[in-house]
Amino acid sequence: MTTPLRVAHYINQFFAGIGGEEQAGVGVSFRDGAVGPGRALATAFGDAATVVGTIVCGDNFAAEQPDDAQRAIASHLGDVQPDVLVAGPAFASGRYGLACAHACLTATRLGVPAVTAMHRDNPGATSFRKSVLIVPTGESAMSMPAALEHVTRLATKLGRREPLNPAEVEGYLPQGNRRVWDRGRPGWERALDMLLAKLHGRPFVTEVPYNAPEKVEPARPIADLTRAKIAMITTGGLVRKGNPDRQVSANATRYHRHSVRDLEQLTPEGWEAFHAGYFNHIVNRNPNYILPLSFLRDLEKHGRIGGVHEYMYALPGVSTPVAVATGLGQAIARDLSTAGVDGCLLVAT
Amino acid sequence: MSERAGMRLTLGTFPVTSIVFGARTSYDGGRLTVDKTAALAAVREDARIVEADLEIATPGESVRIWPVRDVIEPRVKIDGPGVCYPGMCGRDITTVGRGRTHRLAGMGVVEVSSVNWHDSGGDFVETYLDMSGHYGEMYPYAKLQLLCLVVEPDRELGDEARNDAVHKAALAVSDHVAAATRELSPPSTEVFELGAVDPSLPRVVYIWGVHSPQAMSGSPTAFGTATYGLTRLTPAWLLHPNEILDGALTGPYRTAFAMSWTVANNPLLMDLYRRHGRDWNFLGVIALRTEWTTQHEKQLIANQTAKLAAMLGADGAVVTWDAGGNEFIEVIRTIRECEGLGIKTVFLTSEDDATDGAPTMLEPLPEADAIVSTSFFRNRTLGVAPVPPVARVIGLPTKAMNDDLRAGVGAGYERLVPVSGTLPPPWRYDDHYGFNSLSCIE
Repeated sequence: MTTPLRVAHYINQFFAGIGGEEQAGVGVSFRDGAVGPGRALATAFGDAATVVGTIVCGDNFAAEQPDDAQRAIASHLGDVQPDVLVAGPAFASGRYGLACAHACLTATRLGVPAVTAMHRDNPGATSFRKSVLIVPTGESAMSMPAALEHVTRLATKLGRREPLNPAEVEGYLPQGNRRVWDRGRPGWERALDMLLAKLHGRPFVTEVPYNAPEKVEPARPIADLTRAKIAMITTGGLVRKGNPDRQVSANATRYHRHSVRDLEQLTPEGWEAFHAGYFNHIVNRNPNYILPLSFLRDLEKHGRIGGVHEYMYALPGVSTPVAVATGLGQAIARDLSTAGVDGCLLVAT
Repeated sequence: MSERAGMRLTLGTFPVTSIVFGARTSYDGGRLTVDKTAALAAVREDARIVEADLEIATPGESVRIWPVRDVIEPRVKIDGPGVCYPGMCGRDITTVGRGRTHRLAGMGVVEVSSVNWHDSGGDFVETYLDMSGHYGEMYPYAKLQLLCLVVEPDRELGDEARNDAVHKAALAVSDHVAAATRELSPPSTEVFELGAVDPSLPRVVYIWGVHSPQAMSGSPTAFGTATYGLTRLTPAWLLHPNEILDGALTGPYRTAFAMSWTVANNPLLMDLYRRHGRDWNFLGVIALRTEWTTQHEKQLIANQTAKLAAMLGADGAVVTWDAGGNEFIEVIRTIRECEGLGIKTVFLTSEDDATDGAPTMLEPLPEADAIVSTSFFRNRTLGVAPVPPVARVIGLPTKAMNDDLRAGVGAGYERLVPVSGTLPPPWRYDDHYGFNSLSCIE
């Protein structure tokens, strides 16, 4: 038989029996052995592990004096030398969930693997699911038995330094680490099985969980266009005629910057499109379709805008992975910001 | 539902286990003998063809075929109206799906030519096929006996005429070999019809997204995946699955999984059809043309496609697509509209790059809650290793590359590399119909 793992347990003032909201300011303390839900946790572990100590901290203390709290937690972990830290479960309690996530991060920094449990909409989960191992629970302590069973299964693996299977298999919240996986059965067969299950209201597991896209907050409107320097950006794959800069037609890994300082408009003699995603001939006939330099010059002449930025930016927006696109966008934005550009015209295709 | 249209099709299967050249085109116990001279004479009946040759590639062989535009399974109508692969390259458009059809299974006629899809933008033929090795084994073709037509049309012709000429040539070879089964009794037959079933079974449709090259090429008659030969952007088509078995939905798109062969052998369609009357009442295929150009159009097509499914009385829909990029919008919006009308959907799709936790669906929608993943669509994201040299090449000896060999898209600044040497895989893998078990997980 293997030696039982040494488990440290993190809980808040409420589950430690100190008190509710009025006691949420209490600092970090340590107790030998299991306390409160730790006793059920110990039972769930059975022979696999022993809860050697419990770290208790008030939720407000963890939120309001985070440095002190984490220092104290680290100190206790250093004294106990556990094989694994279990935090919570925190269920739907937001401050507790965040405190559990922070305790797990502290443990991980010390080389102690850690797992917590909470509802998937708990701020602790929405903020830290990518960096902290989180088992999803129900909203209340009603789901305690299932949560503890799940947590002990993962904690045992972690404590034994066994590799974890993907989130979909182990049941923890996805960490944004999507990878190739051979499911052993062809896709068509899985799809029709899923269809049958869904038609009959039987449980099924989607292979691509909903992952909401990042929300980008738009910049504030330009207060005075007549003093604004305007830049032009296109993902329409505008290139100098003949593509001397060797822009690719898809899967861009860089952007191209072209000076328009001496240009009044874009002419088909000087410019064309190279882009694997639309009918390029429209642009080849009149490149101003994709970046309307002629109109901007007109507005500039009439004082409607302050000026046209010296450089325009171009790349083919075809099949660019989000991470690459983000990097390119940030680089262009930094460039424009440094050049004192106030606004830009972004023409897609 | 009774078959008022009389859509009953007997599909006779002749398995091909070897192809040889010989004096007379014939089929005998799995061996297909091809009279090369006669087959090429059929090709040369079209005066637009200036070069044509036939070569054979067999599974396990160290051979590479380049450039691959299409792979066609030879099928021929023995009885009943119309012709197989109707409407393509000027063929008869009579509604197919009835009577008897013969197919040469386990083989494909490969259309090998330098002809590109069209001249707008960097949309190049990218597919090559290997008959062995890690890359070859990613596709169903390495298990097939392949009869490769290496063909070039008159260079003076326009792109559309050149596309028409080489595809017509490949169909001529397909017709020529399929005709060898005309007088024979098939080793196995299967009868396909959407007969009356237990009315309590759930009613399902297959919503099959097929790309249209119209927007990209600027031409409503550009070559690509076609319904009865039409490639233009049209509202959704309601097809009887027998029409698809007779090749009414056919023709290639950009990827190795979007060929006539994979459409005719789509395992999702076949199993959906075979379980009609047991697990569900299969109502038919809605072919949804994709790559509409504005958000307005995309949403309209999604609304109308879902409405069509609802009017058919569908309880469920399985959804696939064969493209990448903006076509995703009309497909995922169709799913959302179906769910809104109470039609339960399952979506089989590939995934985009997940670096930094990015969503792998171009437009993630919570209504798409039942997704089967056929893994990342990029060979690079999949980590597919460079493809090692081969002993023999069928087709062109060189391939244009850009500087980033692994990306492999676009030849705007062409650098020619020998095809027999180590090559990067084409940039897209994209198992549109779930032939393989590869997926993603987190």
